[in-house]
Amino acid sequence: MNFFQRAIKNVTRKLSKSVLLLLTFFVIGNFVIVGLGVSQASENAKVLTRQKMRAVVTYEVDYDAVNDYVNSLTDEDEINEFYSEGYPQIRLTDVDSLLQDERVKTANALVTSQYYSSEDLDYVHLNNSGEENYGGQSCYIDENGNEVCTEYVMPTLFVKGNYYPDMIEFAEGSYQVVDGRFYTREEIDEAADVVLISQALADQNNLRVGDVITVYNNDPQSVGENGYYNIYGLTIEDITSDLEIIGIYTHNDPVTPDDENYDWLAPYENPDNMLLLPATTYMKQNLTLSQKIFEYSAQQFPDDPYYSDPDNYPTLEAVSYVNNVTLLLNDPLEVDNFVAEYGSELPQFMKISANNEEFERLSRPLDTLSLYANFIVWLVVINAVVIITLVTALTLKTREYEIGVLLSIGASKFKIILQFFVELALVAIIGFTLSIASGSLVANQVGSTVLDYQIDSSGLNEDDDNDYYYESIWDTDYTTDISLDDLVSEYNVSISPLIILEIYIVGLGIVLVSILIPSLMIMRFNPKRILMNQN
Amino acid sequence: MGEILKLENINYSYIDGGFERQILKDLSYTFEDHKFYTILGPSGSGKTTLLSIIAGLDNPKSGKIYFEGEDITKMGLGKYRRNKISIVFQQYNLINYLTAIENVLVAMSETDNKLPKNHKEVAYALLEKFGIVKTKADRLVNQLSGGEQQRVAIARSLASNVNLIFADEPTGNLDTATEKEIVGVFKELAHDFGKTVIVVTHSDSVSALSDQRLLLKDGVLQDIK
Repeated sequence: MNFFQRAIKNVTRKLSKSVLLLLTFFVIGNFVIVGLGVSQASENAKVLTRQKMRAVVTYEVDYDAVNDYVNSLTDEDEINEFYSEGYPQIRLTDVDSLLQDERVKTANALVTSQYYSSEDLDYVHLNNSGEENYGGQSCYIDENGNEVCTEYVMPTLFVKGNYYPDMIEFAEGSYQVVDGRFYTREEIDEAADVVLISQALADQNNLRVGDVITVYNNDPQSVGENGYYNIYGLTIEDITSDLEIIGIYTHNDPVTPDDENYDWLAPYENPDNMLLLPATTYMKQNLTLSQKIFEYSAQQFPDDPYYSDPDNYPTLEAVSYVNNVTLLLNDPLEVDNFVAEYGSELPQFMKISANNEEFERLSRPLDTLSLYANFIVWLVVINAVVIITLVTALTLKTREYEIGVLLSIGASKFKIILQFFVELALVAIIGFTLSIASGSLVANQVGSTVLDYQIDSSGLNEDDDNDYYYESIWDTDYTTDISLDDLVSEYNVSISPLIILEIYIVGLGIVLVSILIPSLMIMRFNPKRILMNQN
Repeated sequence: MGEILKLENINYSYIDGGFERQILKDLSYTFEDHKFYTILGPSGSGKTTLLSIIAGLDNPKSGKIYFEGEDITKMGLGKYRRNKISIVFQQYNLINYLTAIENVLVAMSETDNKLPKNHKEVAYALLEKFGIVKTKADRLVNQLSGGEQQRVAIARSLASNVNLIFADEPTGNLDTATEKEIVGVFKELAHDFGKTVIVVTHSDSVSALSDQRLLLKDGVLQDIK
């Protein structure tokens, strides 16, 4: 009849006491399950939604920091000196260290522009109002009072140039190379005249990998007679590019007549008319224009020191820039850590961000719910400790004689405490086990009700309904747009094995803490005093 | 006969109403084995205090107690109580949510003494020896009469296979017939089982049946001839 067997006998033979304690633990268990279940469901909903979002981090100029810095300068000369060095720009070499991180899958450092198709390249038509009303005449009155009109055409192609030999779209699978390949690092460094075109554009023009297409990076009319670039001496050759097709891609982003804005889309806004080429290739083509304008200006204004200085002559490096770099990480859940890790090591006026402000805003009801749930758990646990301690202490008083008897036959105080612990733990385990079934039902109901209330009181529903977002082809923001529905649809209270484990840990924790005070009482018991008092 | 318990210059006092009250004064005595002792004395003479000290439930202010030549404080009072002695109380002090047999088994499970492996059979046999048959042995102790409970307490005291048994007014709550019966048991334990039994009592009839009667008076033990 060791301490464990005695504990079992006590639990089974002092049934009313055991049942009362069992009910107490059952009620506590229900509260704890509701709290933990709701809290975990909130966390899970956030994690699942976060996992659905793109794991992107944006590296860009911190305009707020620049403004703050400029505002902090009091001396006019200092301000002029700051601006004379040029507005802070992203240096891709600074981003390289981030790209070395194994968590980074790929990156987009994009330049975008509109191009014009040559006579030999027919763009993919949408046959919409936007296309019908495209192009026209541009007129002005010259110094002699004569109206001068020039024909103009609108761009038909869109160019996306990346500084990296992969793109987020391809890494994610929303774009696929169906023939040929993507451009390489060497081709980027050499500003090679290579391009990937869409399957639709290839089909339209019967093009294949290895063929060459001719495109204009400016309106051909602008270099013709009366063209606005004519005065700089630009010719059609200066704006013409012959690009070798190295790859043909398909995409999951078609425009259809069902699209709300379909009727007003310009041809270049059709992703089928998008050319993917190295960013340097685009910059090289732009360079010619910049150089011609510089040369013309130097001729026109020979006394201007700016144009006299050969250092100011446009170079590829000088005209190359990116507005932002978007890094795609392997795991969406790593985004916050990544930002926190590199955020403090960046060059001055640069920042990286997870762009999850919207996610955090929409997550607020879940955060509040989780906070309440955790608060309930703590409140219940503290109350449980107090109640159980009190019950145990009171019970112990009635068992003083038993302690005395056990001490008189030489039982150690440790074994006596162990017996009381086992008694309480047995009841707690049964109580918590029973509460798992009922608690999960209650948790689901309570969680949904409170979440609905939180959402209603936050007013997020109304914001959502009024939101209208049109994703433009110009957009280089790769952050995922999420809605409240996305978050709520992931909210599901289920009692996971982890929660069950937590219940037992919490339960045994309560028992342990509750037994502490009674244990101290036992420790101070003097066997003589107890036994002699009894007798 | 050899010595089993030796008390050497035991002193015990406590503060009562601001005054120190000396209960035991340089008390020395040697108990021999296989004997049935009774300790008599007027109320407040310190009989129970003496019992608690020699049973290892309390410490004397000074003096030594030797069990078979070994200082019990060096042995450890818990170990002394667990392996060397057992105590029978006036109120029986059985654990009320356990049956008679289970109360006996508790003592068997706590002691470090070597016991036969078949604890349960031995416990039933012990109880039966003291008149508690199996049907009663399986009852909760509060369903037994006072005399039966005291027999269970005695059986428990023997269960740990110790040689020294203390009893504090063991017949105080029993009728005369049962008292006689219990005292007979103690005598049997001393003479037939080789135990030493030391009983604190008020009862002259109990002490009359003992081998050695002792009187605690003025803090010292005296043999009563």
